[in-house]
Amino acid sequence: MRRAARLRRAMPGALLALALLCLPGVKAWAEGGVRTIVLPPDGVELRPSSLPGYAKAHDHCVACHSAEYFQYQPPTAPRGYWEAMVKRMRLVFKAPVDDADITDLVDYFVRTYGAEQPK
Amino acid sequence: MRDDPNAERHRRRVLAGALAAAALGLTGRAARAQPASVDLPVANGRRKLVAYPEKRPLIVLTSRPPQLETPFAVFDEGLLTPNDAFFVRYHHAGIPTAIDADQHVIRIGGNALAKPYELTMADLRTQFTAVELVAVNQCSGNGRALFSPRVTGGQLTNGAMGNARWLGVPLRQVLARAEPRETARQVAFNGLDTPVLPGGANFVKSLDMAHAMDGEVMLAYRMNGADLPMLNGYPVRLVVPGFYGTYWVKHLSDIQVIDHDLESFWMKPAYRVPDNDCACVEPGTVPAATRPIGRFNVRSFITSLGDQARIAAGKPTEVRGIAFDGGQGIREVAFSADGGQSWREAVLGEDLGRYSFRPFTFGFTPVKGVNDLRVRAWNRSGQSQPMEALWQPAGYMRNVVESVKVLAI
Repeated sequence: MRRAARLRRAMPGALLALALLCLPGVKAWAEGGVRTIVLPPDGVELRPSSLPGYAKAHDHCVACHSAEYFQYQPPTAPRGYWEAMVKRMRLVFKAPVDDADITDLVDYFVRTYGAEQPK
Repeated sequence: MRDDPNAERHRRRVLAGALAAAALGLTGRAARAQPASVDLPVANGRRKLVAYPEKRPLIVLTSRPPQLETPFAVFDEGLLTPNDAFFVRYHHAGIPTAIDADQHVIRIGGNALAKPYELTMADLRTQFTAVELVAVNQCSGNGRALFSPRVTGGQLTNGAMGNARWLGVPLRQVLARAEPRETARQVAFNGLDTPVLPGGANFVKSLDMAHAMDGEVMLAYRMNGADLPMLNGYPVRLVVPGFYGTYWVKHLSDIQVIDHDLESFWMKPAYRVPDNDCACVEPGTVPAATRPIGRFNVRSFITSLGDQARIAAGKPTEVRGIAFDGGQGIREVAFSADGGQSWREAVLGEDLGRYSFRPFTFGFTPVKGVNDLRVRAWNRSGQSQPMEALWQPAGYMRNVVESVKVLAI
């Protein structure tokens, strides 16, 4: 990263390490030929629910990707959409869910993020 | 809730917090602690603005893997989209976070070439003739959130596009060295990103052999005069001018010349459009047949005024915008200041090539009240944009004439 390179030229190594730690926004750097980035944490969490699919969504869905995938869908997203997605995750992306999990997951998603949310 | 198909990105109202993020270069930590947000002009449209590595605060569609949309105001900053504002789209959360470009190798193989070989970045930079090209990259689903009726999938407004000056080597040169056989039918491209779980459908994309050998498809290692940002495919990505971003494979690591059509999840059933002239169907219906998504259609946008902007009535006002298409080049842009009832020609600006954004300007004198501004472009083949939005279930290829309603006081 050019910013880091400029810093490196501009100050001794010990100071550089300190500066990198203190400089907000500097989250990418190069060591030797290696470019490294540090990604920020997930921006949203699963919406808590008493439905059994909530815990299963933690284990089977958010284990692989963040929760915006659910949260930002149109609130009109019907049960069929959630079912198709969960089945795709099992078939295409090898999510380890069984049939009972699918029922619970779909129910949680459609009632928490989709067309069957309480009005 | 906005069901208006002409609803536009300009209705985003940047919240107070976003102003803090505008200065984020200096205040990143504070902004992360109290994330700025933006309201996209759709139901359930609130999003966070977060500065990812090497990026300014962008609209977060998903955090893991990162999918980041460019705030639309960026497109008024200049014709080239800055690297730190360029949109990001990944498919797998298994993305590279540390890459040694000196060790990076692109394998060239497959069952339809005579001489497989491996290419280092140094080879790529020194053993071929580099070319430079300004080209738009645009996500297939750019504007998906604006579909009416709504469709599921990544809910983007119109910021999943960007225009950059790419430097790299034509794929044709790289493939020629491997001596493709006459049986070569497609070329498949893979990058360093991987599915999280073993056996998951890897993101591999393919182009027909003739397309791969057209001399324009390139292996790009510089973007706007700098290394590619990590999240845009460092150290090298495929650039497929005029084609949707799904083909622009990042962190390119493997090229296979094959004697058949690639059958991967990401070629079929994903990234398909209705196989008809409009790539559209009646809302709510399913296409009878599909084909892989291909070239961009024609689009145009006003960039200097956002929806609901307030301007001075009776004062002559210059408006700026951009237009682009799949590679014919923009021939004409028309504008309307009365919601599409009457049209006049806008003035085209600097031409950076037929794959680039083409700037335009027009002047108008706002009347008191709401002024409904629209722009419509034609390319050199006479293709244009529909006045009413077309629809398809996957939410790809939006290109309706957009509406920007400004209030003159």
